[in-house]
Amino acid sequence: MLFSSITFLYYFLPLVLICYFILPAKFKNACLLFFSLFFYAWGEPLCVFLMLATIIWNYVFGILIERAGKKCAKKIYLTVSVSGTLSGLLYFKYAGFFAENFAYLAGMDAPVLNIALPIGISFYTFQILSYSVDVYRGEVPAQKNPITLATYIALFPQLIAGPIVRYKDVAEQLRSRTHSFEKAEEGIRRFICGLAKKIILANTLGELCEGFFASSDLSVGYFWLFAISYMLQIYFDFSGYSDMAIGLGKIFGFDFLENFRYPFIAKSISEFWRRWHISLGSWFRDYVYIPMGGNRVGKVRLLFNLFVVWFLTGFWHGAEWNFVIWGLFFFVFLLLEKLFLTDFLKKHKIIGHIYTLFFVAVSFVIFSGTGAKEALLRVGGLFGAGAIPAISSAFLYALRNYGTTLILAILCATPAPKLLYARILKGRLSAAISILEIPALLAVLVIITAFLADGSFNPFLYFRF
Amino acid sequence: MKRVKSIVYVLAFAIFLATVSSVCLAKPETKYSEAERRELARFPKLSTETVASGEFSKDFESYTTDQFPARDFLRSIKAAFARIALNKADNNGLFYIEGHISKIDSEENDAMMEHAKTRFDFLYESYLKENPVYFSIVPDKNMFLAEENGYPSLDYRGFIKRMTGKIPYMEYIDITDLLSLDDYYRTDTHWKQEAIRDIAARLASAMGKDTTGEIFTENVLDHPFLGVYAGQYAGKVAPDTIKYLTSERLDRAIVTYYDTGVAKKGSLYNMEKATGKDPYEMFLSGTMPLVTLKDSQPENDNHLILFRDSFGSSIAPLFLGAYSKITVIDTRYVQSEFLKNMVDFKGADVLFLYSTSLLNNSLAIR
Repeated sequence: MLFSSITFLYYFLPLVLICYFILPAKFKNACLLFFSLFFYAWGEPLCVFLMLATIIWNYVFGILIERAGKKCAKKIYLTVSVSGTLSGLLYFKYAGFFAENFAYLAGMDAPVLNIALPIGISFYTFQILSYSVDVYRGEVPAQKNPITLATYIALFPQLIAGPIVRYKDVAEQLRSRTHSFEKAEEGIRRFICGLAKKIILANTLGELCEGFFASSDLSVGYFWLFAISYMLQIYFDFSGYSDMAIGLGKIFGFDFLENFRYPFIAKSISEFWRRWHISLGSWFRDYVYIPMGGNRVGKVRLLFNLFVVWFLTGFWHGAEWNFVIWGLFFFVFLLLEKLFLTDFLKKHKIIGHIYTLFFVAVSFVIFSGTGAKEALLRVGGLFGAGAIPAISSAFLYALRNYGTTLILAILCATPAPKLLYARILKGRLSAAISILEIPALLAVLVIITAFLADGSFNPFLYFRF
Repeated sequence: MKRVKSIVYVLAFAIFLATVSSVCLAKPETKYSEAERRELARFPKLSTETVASGEFSKDFESYTTDQFPARDFLRSIKAAFARIALNKADNNGLFYIEGHISKIDSEENDAMMEHAKTRFDFLYESYLKENPVYFSIVPDKNMFLAEENGYPSLDYRGFIKRMTGKIPYMEYIDITDLLSLDDYYRTDTHWKQEAIRDIAARLASAMGKDTTGEIFTENVLDHPFLGVYAGQYAGKVAPDTIKYLTSERLDRAIVTYYDTGVAKKGSLYNMEKATGKDPYEMFLSGTMPLVTLKDSQPENDNHLILFRDSFGSSIAPLFLGAYSKITVIDTRYVQSEFLKNMVDFKGADVLFLYSTSLLNNSLAIR
């Protein structure tokens, strides 16, 4: 089920809220678990059993890891637990990719495996891995209550599109959390803002991108317009989902960590990744990069560590070579920054900003392809490959049709609207504005509903993740 | 104060959700959308199979969207928001300019043109080798609207050239110079019958016949016509007026419809359909696989076989002055292979009259 659907907004959500707030505290987790499983089973009726199996597996091994006396026994349990958990991800997400590439290398016909990718498998696998590793490290005690652990993994607000919530960050909240009108207000505001980002901005920019994919009237201008729009579409789609997850979490009493912090104002690629999909970046840092030695190693080893992390980051996003190239593209720039560019970029902020936006836009063109060939052809299009003209009528029309949305999206990708609103709230009209915010947000909800009722373009970008 | 605001905030949201949800649950199902001219999704079949396959959830999503209360009103809000706040030039591919609503269709689809060619080849090879065969293309109204207003447009002249090049055995009759934007309804894709007398004359003349002697009377349909684009566009637009032509000869014509294989007498203009979901269907009763028009007091034994799409419905009666018998065939609704036993092709003039829209999306031609 998608948050951005009539079914979720006006059927599922009211029912969950009623049940959740009617039930006494001791049943709240069970209530969330029940509805979360229903939420997941709605679109993936059979895949819910895979998720349940993963939960049970990690529940058992979590306890075994904790109870094992010797370090080597803990390590063995952890290895079995992680291998079992990863095998699900490897099979469902990557089996087709490996089979296809093996067949290519062996000069055979690629087998058709037809393995359906369970939605959100990459997110919940990473969540549960963090649980097992943290138990192994002794950072958290193993969860003895299977319902609590299952609630953590299956919690519908962040189940299918993140943020990747770590067990240690919410362990206490799973046991006991506070609900308040203030927190709910914050959650509602955040949820509606996230919905607006997804429905109004991301989906409208998505229309532009779909038009680009379908067009035969391509030009360099159109490629760049696509690159910028796609980059913003992904941002508003993904950060919109994160906002909705964080907002819903607050309504249910949880505090999830931020996942995006205005990544397009970054002045270097390193800074961009400290602002973009923060929960994934920090996951790789804490569970891959640092265990491999992190920065405190020789240059060759550092190179290797970074290579592994960015290879995996790319591969996590999808079982296609273009995602690997996308990850390694960042590896190259992060390495350059680490070795040579850091001081220069600190001194020349405007250049740093332009450089970051330029290469991030190019990176998302790589990201947009289905396979390496298509991705590289599109990158070629940005620089006029294929003797395409500088501009075309399709480009001019797209610019005219989506120009305002694009300007709005660029503005909303900066902290300017938030800062402006905060400033207004400090002014003389603060009381009036504060009250007007309620009908204004409800009006936004009506507009969002209008978009949904129209059955407008509403893609789900995370099926690959 | 802050706490009071938070309480009001939460209550407003809760009341909003509760109200909309209750209305969603209480609202009776609507079967048909007049605005969009389509059947709406109904509550899906609930069974172990449909649930396990995910079909139920998918259909339920369509059901909740289609059956949402005040959906047409919300669609108009969305259209207005897209137009005013986002400054969008089109809404769901439809645009409104010069009083006309039109749909963007700018990508030439060679595969579809090839499909049409294949089906025409079959008809020619099977039935028409001994007949004089003519071909004409009705350009979409975008030809006179899109490009000059900055909207993406097909290269209509190029399209016609490429399509006619695929069927060299047919003699092409150009009618584009006789058409202008005013010849099309503002809210619909079709041309107006009262505006295409010259087109009928051009086509008949190219086939060696004359329709210019026929004197028609213009009749105004007393029912507003909101064309197919009006509902899809979801913005507020003034309706069109349908005019239809009558004459002594047209009044005495014997019209036979062959729907579901059974011959049924009818009239040129179906007044029941004129007040129905799509008033344009009043012309030859809309979607019909096979219709014959006969002059009950024939002055010649000319026979025209017209292969057509919906544009043919309004022009076919105008040929009655030149042909005492007209067989109108729509191969979207009848398999070409079956025509052998249904139509006598001997000695007839054959005209293929299709719109660019259909030729560019021709999969329905069988």
